[in-house]
Amino acid sequence: MRNTRATQLLFELSKSGRRGVRLPAADVPEVPLADLLPTDALASAPPPLPELTEPELVRHFTNLSTQNMSVDTHFYPLGSCTMKHNPKRNERLANLPGIIDLHPYQPADTLQGLLELLWNLQEMLAEIAGLPAVSLQPAAGAQGEMAALLCAAAHFRKLGQQRTKVLAPDSAHGTNPASAKMAGFDTVTVKSTPAGYVDMADLESKLDLQTAVFMITNPNTLGMFDRQIAEIAKKVHEVGGLIYLDGANMNAILGIARPGDFGADMMHFNPHKTFSGPHGGGGPGAGPISVSKVLEPYLPVPVVVRDENGFHLEYDRPESIGRVRSFFGNVGVLVRAYCYIRTHGPDGLKRVSENAVLNANYLLSKVKHIFPVPQGDRCMHEFVASGAKLKNDRGVSAMDVAKRLLDYGYHAPTVYFPPIVREAMMIEPTETESKETLDAFAQTLFRISEEPADLLQEAPHTTSISRPDEVQAARQPIVAWSPKV
Amino acid sequence: MPYVANTAEDQRAMLDSIGVKNIEELFASIPAELRLKRPLDIPPALSEMELTAHMAALAKKDAPAGEKICFLGAGSYDHFIPAVVDYVASRGEFYTSYTPYQPEASQGNLQVFFEYQTLITQLTGMDVSNASLYDGGSAAAEAVLMAISATGRHSRVVTAASVHPEYRQILATYLANLGIELVTVETPDGVISPETLAKVVNDQTACVLIQQPNFFGCLEPVEAIGKIAHEAGALFAVSVDPISLGLLKRPGDYGADIVVAEGQSLGSPMSFGGPYLGILACREQFVRRMPGRIAGETVDRRGKRCFVLTLQTREQHIRREKATSNICTNQGLFALRAAVYLAALGPQGLRETAELCLRRSHYAAEKLATDNGFERVFAAPTFKEFVVRAKGGDVEDMLVRASEAGYLAGIPLCMWYEDLADCFLVTVTERRTPEEIDGLVGCLNQVAAIHA
Ligand SMILES: Cc1ncc(COP(=O)(O)O)c(C=O)c1O
Repeated sequence: MRNTRATQLLFELSKSGRRGVRLPAADVPEVPLADLLPTDALASAPPPLPELTEPELVRHFTNLSTQNMSVDTHFYPLGSCTMKHNPKRNERLANLPGIIDLHPYQPADTLQGLLELLWNLQEMLAEIAGLPAVSLQPAAGAQGEMAALLCAAAHFRKLGQQRTKVLAPDSAHGTNPASAKMAGFDTVTVKSTPAGYVDMADLESKLDLQTAVFMITNPNTLGMFDRQIAEIAKKVHEVGGLIYLDGANMNAILGIARPGDFGADMMHFNPHKTFSGPHGGGGPGAGPISVSKVLEPYLPVPVVVRDENGFHLEYDRPESIGRVRSFFGNVGVLVRAYCYIRTHGPDGLKRVSENAVLNANYLLSKVKHIFPVPQGDRCMHEFVASGAKLKNDRGVSAMDVAKRLLDYGYHAPTVYFPPIVREAMMIEPTETESKETLDAFAQTLFRISEEPADLLQEAPHTTSISRPDEVQAARQPIVAWSPKV
Repeated sequence: MPYVANTAEDQRAMLDSIGVKNIEELFASIPAELRLKRPLDIPPALSEMELTAHMAALAKKDAPAGEKICFLGAGSYDHFIPAVVDYVASRGEFYTSYTPYQPEASQGNLQVFFEYQTLITQLTGMDVSNASLYDGGSAAAEAVLMAISATGRHSRVVTAASVHPEYRQILATYLANLGIELVTVETPDGVISPETLAKVVNDQTACVLIQQPNFFGCLEPVEAIGKIAHEAGALFAVSVDPISLGLLKRPGDYGADIVVAEGQSLGSPMSFGGPYLGILACREQFVRRMPGRIAGETVDRRGKRCFVLTLQTREQHIRREKATSNICTNQGLFALRAAVYLAALGPQGLRETAELCLRRSHYAAEKLATDNGFERVFAAPTFKEFVVRAKGGDVEDMLVRASEAGYLAGIPLCMWYEDLADCFLVTVTERRTPEEIDGLVGCLNQVAAIHA
């Protein structure tokens, strides 16, 4: 049973003299500290950390955990995030000592198993992407975006071309323009049509010889496959630009269509979405990128290569952009992705996407009578419903609906994204949810739509807290605890 | 299909409700010519039993720490992880949730992030911390970007050869297209010479980035360095080893403006380099320039204390290209691990851990240097790592032989430092017992004898 009262902070529970861990004696000849380190480098006292016993810690953190919704405990249809089941076998296998207790600078001959796994993962991702060269280094999708854009920049520098612009649709995820800026580009926004597709006329008017890259998410952030993609790629390639495919929505098209086949020159995967890496309360993720042959020389180092002596890390790539993070990458997440892909095989992955798309369309068919879905009657793995009518009629916002869903034991959809739909509720059920869950969720949405406005505007009513004052939090930020004076 | 609930019957009913004949129709928006017309060329599916056997076979080809005794470090360390850390982090409510966009359904994570941020300020002596970045290396690059925007100086950044070579490589990559000059001062004595540094830090310098203890394990003259940075109006950014702060002065106490660290040491496995934890903390005045998520305290409608993601107008989902960073998914689970670790150790535990590292690494360094085959390279005081020169040369061959004898004895420096081609970096954490250290020294002596 949930203990909602246990919300004291570690620092308030602390009592001088308590300990959670004891350490052995040094068992080496005793030397005064001052002989080992200059006294001016030493702190006068250790950092003022809290002092607690193990039982206190266990109760504290266990109780805190119960104040979260999670995939293990709740339906979590957070659009764009692919909150699918996180397989337990992957946890067990990723924690094998021979996988997890490895130092990043161990010699390759002591790492042949892991390197083999990573090499095979590179190959499998290349096949799924239809783009032959892979770097597993980026730590998340956003870092993959930046890394691939840096590869594009290096490519144009080599060609002696001054290309300063990255284009992205107004429906793009915020990381797209932010990554473009970090890679040194100016960003240009391309309009979407009312149905959510790229506005071709607007795109064409913005394409020029300064265009380095067009970043597109396909299926897009409305959950629609933009069938103009081949035409878009042709137009971008004609001016010498490249196509970046944001792979956040790969869960819809595994084994069905490949970005490399529909015009992409580079892409990232989000293994924490598509390949079931647990989201960890915010992370870790990973952001491996797949690129075309032309871009391969620029990939970050190292990559895993195979030769007659087995597997090793290759660093000597003179045209590489260098590194975007230390060591190899978010290996723990990559290992889980490997386990996931191996569990499914070619048919299994395709069935993942088929069922993800089936579940989303089914839910859409149930929800559209309650909340209109401006994009129409079909979607890929997710759809965006609009609460605009409810807002106009009764002053109830998408946020109110989201909050009320929490009372019924559902995590809320992603709200107010993408920015091109009013009162957007982006719903992604994933393939691992049952028809019963989807039915119950749709019924709940219907019930909510009939509830009195003030009940909704005050929601949630049953969670451990009611709505927080976010304005105050931002106006006078308190971002660390300090002792009361 | 182990994770899909839809039966054939369910599928039929769902298709009827949608109003299509089959699943194929749902993919009608993907033009036929853009489809993959064959199955993916990847290996066939494995059952859980088969996958388990396959993974066990792969894992057997590796030599994990424990099988070979690990004296490797350089930013990734074999520190002890108390069981309570694994227990807490394996709670599904933590590891299967996501970014706390809905605070009412995420008070667990939000309070943990708030506690983590507080612990990091206590550890570093800084005013504020974010809720995690990817790793120590990209955190260092983010710190530099932050300093550039805070100072408005877009021309020069200064660092030193004694900063982790990979961190400098990341920084160079991040700065490559931004038109900013990266100046690296050489460190022939293993530490920065303030005189040399002062020559390259000018009134256009945004930031001086150093590492303490540095890549060679040596202590930098941090106070002198900070003074040089500040006199030029540059920010002083320091990358620290969090464990060392059990003993060493905190960066906040010697004038650092931004502190970054690799947080793997704080309760996370080495995991071949990731996932890790990028720590970033700074002075209060820069809080609105920080990258990444930040948890803040507020009250709910009933006046109850609670926590939310705050200062979100810095972030990509609101500000897009004007955001302070592109980071979205971070390393939340590893912030949780670090929070449990720090709370479990407490001030005394952290101090004792740091002391064990210090004492045992000095014991190892002395024992090694008494042998004729090896010598210490730098005179500067060290914490838990030190650089050793193999007088007989061919370091790589020696390390291979040591590995065959069961010791991951050190990291060859030839890859990064030409003038240290006959040297390697040895790390001793609190986990290395005196017997293991004696074993290492014995082994290296034997190996050196072969080369003599
Ligand atoms: C469409 C889209 N693009 C990019 C990203 C960024 O990925 P990450 O959070 O892994 O950095 C996300 C996810 O958050 C996304 O939904």
